[in-house]
Amino acid sequence: MRRRRLFILSAAAIALLIAAGVPTNAAAQPNYAKVKEYRIERSVPPEAVACIECHRAANPGIFDDWARSRHASANITCLDCHLAQPGDQDVAKGHDKHYANTDLPYSDEKYKVPIATVVTPKDCSRCHPDEVTQYSKSKHANTIEIIWKLDPWLNKGMNSDNERKTGCYHCHGTVLKIDDAGDLAPDTWPNVGVGRLNLDGSKGSCTSCHSRHRFAVSEARRPEACDSCHLGPDHPQIEIYEESKHGTIYNAFGDEFNFKAAAGTWTPGTDYRAPTCAACHMSGSGKVMGTHDVTERLSWETQAPLTVRPADFKPFPAGNDWQVEREKMKNVCRACHGNSWIDDFYQGFDKAVEEYNEVYFKPAKAMLDNLYGKDLLDKTKFFDEHLELQFYELWHHEGRRARMGAMMMAPDYAWWHGFYECKSRFNEFMEEADHLIATGKKAYVYPKYPNATGDTTRPPKIFGK
Amino acid sequence: MKKTVIAAILVGIGIIIAFPLFSMTYYTMVRTSTPEFCASCHEIKPAVVAWRSSTHVNNPQGFVADCMDCHLPAPHKTFDFFFAKTFHGIKDVIKHFTIEEYDRQKNREAAYASFDNAQCRKCHRNLLTMPGKRGAMLAHKTVLYPRPGYEKKCVDCHYDLVHNDRATIMYKQYRRLPYQAKGLRKL
Repeated sequence: MRRRRLFILSAAAIALLIAAGVPTNAAAQPNYAKVKEYRIERSVPPEAVACIECHRAANPGIFDDWARSRHASANITCLDCHLAQPGDQDVAKGHDKHYANTDLPYSDEKYKVPIATVVTPKDCSRCHPDEVTQYSKSKHANTIEIIWKLDPWLNKGMNSDNERKTGCYHCHGTVLKIDDAGDLAPDTWPNVGVGRLNLDGSKGSCTSCHSRHRFAVSEARRPEACDSCHLGPDHPQIEIYEESKHGTIYNAFGDEFNFKAAAGTWTPGTDYRAPTCAACHMSGSGKVMGTHDVTERLSWETQAPLTVRPADFKPFPAGNDWQVEREKMKNVCRACHGNSWIDDFYQGFDKAVEEYNEVYFKPAKAMLDNLYGKDLLDKTKFFDEHLELQFYELWHHEGRRARMGAMMMAPDYAWWHGFYECKSRFNEFMEEADHLIATGKKAYVYPKYPNATGDTTRPPKIFGK
Repeated sequence: MKKTVIAAILVGIGIIIAFPLFSMTYYTMVRTSTPEFCASCHEIKPAVVAWRSSTHVNNPQGFVADCMDCHLPAPHKTFDFFFAKTFHGIKDVIKHFTIEEYDRQKNREAAYASFDNAQCRKCHRNLLTMPGKRGAMLAHKTVLYPRPGYEKKCVDCHYDLVHNDRATIMYKQYRRLPYQAKGLRKL
């Protein structure tokens, strides 16, 4: 009897000990991602230690990303980019209250520093001045100015502000604002658009291509860095690349490429077998120096309605000579191709541009102007008459696909998605236009045009009042 | 009279004329090279007041960078120094009587444009060995060994540093936030 009681007691004690000794991981750390280890063994300002210690618990994803970055290797901490000066208008107001929470070990007043949420190219230029200088001259950094000078969706108010926020501005960038409460205005933030206008006056966002908080050169060298913006019916660069032989080789052998080569050492043939977007448009190759100005090395503006030389692109003329830039691009090609291959390729591209300009665009534009002149089309708005849409798709969608497909060697985009569509669009456009002229009847105006409510004021910060 | 005696007399006369001339010139140069002298023009006074509250005056080394240390060529470039100083002295007096109003912002820009990196580097010589500031090392390399076409001035990133109107004196040793360059001014 006593023995049995002893047995039950000891069994219960053992069971208790086991239960106490092996708590499940889930119970100990509910819903927490595994946080990467980081021991602060190097000289880091105490305020930055506070950032790291708090944010590794609050936002383990941000911390982990940074801890794996080259910045962490070089002892560049949160503070080096996010530190603001007292009185800066972009100081995060809500951040201060965390220093009043005395339960937290790093909430002491002595760690309090003004923090700016938005890190801008100007901040990056403290350490990377040349890269930022190049970028600031590019169409990327100045894209808000460009779209406001060109685009009827904005200038005629043909879409809504939220359609713009979720669509246009996601890539092109917002004009950042502080609202009445002193916080970043939610209609302008969050945003990492490549042409974002920042509160310090600088343009763009380096994190468009070097995503937070890793900022890896290896990321920007991959075509996937570009594909969140350069895709779709109006400029399918990534689809074009995928179809091209360059893309095929990248897909087949990309895992063997060395994307992590140090800046200025990424070498065709050695580190990669076929170019990515960055390899042709940005990276150094042979005698050509690397650049963060994506407008360099272009000899035609294939995105413009009428194809022009970059220096003649009125909304944002590139201050360069297309012949010099073409020679740079040819130098890039020469890493893997001979001269006759390159020259004969460019002959085909130039011919495609010439045919698009002369045979498709100019006659269609002349017809459009003719209809406006005869008052058969109404000029007050755009996109509210069928012919305006037809004309827009001819240059903005199909004409771009044809030209870009020809340039980046994707036959399906040059022809079936490109000139084939241009041809049929052109014929339909002309048929409808001729009919209006023959009958003298005004074009039908869509009376129930939906959601044409967007603000039409050009951003005063760019264009002045 | 012997030729040597004539020569000696001439040299003596030369010394009698030249010594006071040189020493007076030197005296004038010294007297007109102080911040107090610069502040005697009402146009310049605000700049001197702001400078006095800056870290270029208040630092643990006790080092003071005077107006001329930054705004004129180094004295060892003797000819440039004398020429620039005399030229500016005459120009400033003429402008004082001829212009309507002194535009501080315009003159700030003109000063940035006239700065030569060599002026800063008379004092700031060791710019590449800062193990705690790798970002600064990276940026300084692009200034000291620039890629052609990307030459930069120190003041392109380090500006609004000295002549800021402040309510309190800025002591470098009591700076609570770490000093950072502000990034390229013209972005």
